[in-house]
Amino acid sequence: MERTVALIAIFAALIAALGLLPNLMLTSGVPITAQSLGVMLCGTVLGAKRGGLAVLLFVGLVALGLPLLSGGRGGLGVFAGPTMGFVVGFPIAAFTAGFVMEQLRSLPVGLAAGIAAAVGGILVLYIFGVAGFMMVLNKSLIETLTVFSVYIPGDIIKVVLTGLITSGLARARPASVLSRTG
Amino acid sequence: MPSVSSSLIDLHDVACAAEGKQILSGVTIRADERRIGIVGRNGSGKTSLARVMAGLIPADQGRVRIDGVDVAQDRRAALRRVGILFQNPDHQIIFPTVEEEIAFGLTQMGLSKSDVKRGVHDVLRRFDKLHWAPAAIHQLSQGQRQLVCLMSVLCMVPKVIILDEPFAGLDIPTTRQLERVLASLDLTIVHITHAPDAVRAYDRVLWIDQGRVLQDGAPLPVLAAFSRRMMEIGDSDDLSDLAG
Amino acid sequence: MISLTSPVKTAAHGWPAGGKLALLCAATLMLFAVDGAALHLGFLAATAVLYALPGRVFLGAGLKRLFVLWPFVALILLWHLITDDGAAGATIALRMVTAVALANLVTMTTRLSDMMTVVRWLTTPLRRFGVGTQSIELAMALVIRFTPVLANKGQALSMAWRARSVRRPGWRIVLPFAVTAIDDAEHVAEALRARGGL
Repeated sequence: MERTVALIAIFAALIAALGLLPNLMLTSGVPITAQSLGVMLCGTVLGAKRGGLAVLLFVGLVALGLPLLSGGRGGLGVFAGPTMGFVVGFPIAAFTAGFVMEQLRSLPVGLAAGIAAAVGGILVLYIFGVAGFMMVLNKSLIETLTVFSVYIPGDIIKVVLTGLITSGLARARPASVLSRTG
Repeated sequence: MPSVSSSLIDLHDVACAAEGKQILSGVTIRADERRIGIVGRNGSGKTSLARVMAGLIPADQGRVRIDGVDVAQDRRAALRRVGILFQNPDHQIIFPTVEEEIAFGLTQMGLSKSDVKRGVHDVLRRFDKLHWAPAAIHQLSQGQRQLVCLMSVLCMVPKVIILDEPFAGLDIPTTRQLERVLASLDLTIVHITHAPDAVRAYDRVLWIDQGRVLQDGAPLPVLAAFSRRMMEIGDSDDLSDLAG
Repeated sequence: MISLTSPVKTAAHGWPAGGKLALLCAATLMLFAVDGAALHLGFLAATAVLYALPGRVFLGAGLKRLFVLWPFVALILLWHLITDDGAAGATIALRMVTAVALANLVTMTTRLSDMMTVVRWLTTPLRRFGVGTQSIELAMALVIRFTPVLANKGQALSMAWRARSVRRPGWRIVLPFAVTAIDDAEHVAEALRARGGL
């Protein structure tokens, strides 16, 4: 029980700490934000329930007024702005990623994590993100998808990275990859 | 007025501040000795001095040159001249296996794949650890990991290596083994520590306090004064004081 | 960990958080229920007045927090100008800025501890069903405590990267970062057990 609470809290802190890192560089020179990697990792490493709770805790603290989103953003204003769908969708995306991860136990860790991150971190997250954007800015589905299409290549890269990092963690700390052991 | 030949380590009137606090001020060090110790309390600025010397933190004021190179500005040249070993290997090692970790610096320098392989092989052989190459970092002890960090720096053949409290948390046998390794190195070592014994046999010791160089000279007198002062402070109670 | 509550004391700092949140909900609903650029300009002006009342520092902080919205405002205005629907574009942009500004206003005038009181109140039904909610408060405290600790470790890893490479840190540092987090979690769990457990 203590271990569960500690892991959930520390991973929520990890998402926040990743937001404080400057954008990471890929070898090709493309910058990516580290924070969304953290959200997907919560799911692929901690599993559906704990991963979802970790991200929910993170989002909850953002709502309470802590500047934990990358760029030092936070507070209730985030939930009234155009990216509110993504923030609200974070916990559900993590939960989904964890759920998929738990279903794919027969696959190698990296591959399972990649698929889980794609389903949770792209498919499910974008459903919420797009819906939120449509609502706040009164745009149609097609218009919104056009706007967000530029982010898809970066997100695909993050899916691959989530797979690589999760498989690395499974080797370094196998007992802590709860999506596989718990 | 300017000296014809400048020193290997050349800091002149270096100052640096962060978050409103002055961390270093008026630091001037000209050194060619092979073994240099820097002692000070925790919070004295010695860790920041290490990072400024390595070019990882730019000085707000003054000049920082190692082997004539401005280490903060010319990072490419700096990496070939100065290496730094931090306190905790877990906050330093990036890759999961020994050979990947050692190869990192060489790869980043732009060497070809075969040159990188050779560089890794050479440093492992030098320390008689060729069998470590494919090993996973998490299988190694703290002392072994620190040695991996040292090898990762040494393979880049720097002229100066800065050690920021490298033995913290290591047991006595491991410390002695690593000390022997360091003693065998043929380059300039700047060893930052809060423990006087580690640098007693060095060529020169500087005492840093509140961001300034308090004393600078032969180890025995400087360390005697430093130890005396540390005992004095220990007998009083500044544990209660909050920083800033 | 510094929260986004404004150090400038206002009258609103003393009002109950639940009340402010309820007001915010009502105001936001109203904003989205009505249309018309002129009306929304009025709403935004009224919001600006609220921000100006506590003084220049407060107003400045508030404007800085709204600055992040400018690309979206530009996007909307341009889009609607091109489609010849300027009035609708203005309405959307004004409404969004007002909604965010009002929400930020609540955040800036409400202390974290007061927000936690609301959370405690909201989780009352859980307690009625026997669910221990102290874990929630503990978890929140742990996040606040450990975010700076982990951030420092991230910085250390970034520095270790830059000590051997001229390039900016790459994705690779996330792995040792996560390993450190897992190790810290084990230590925290140990500390919790040593202090009586949950």
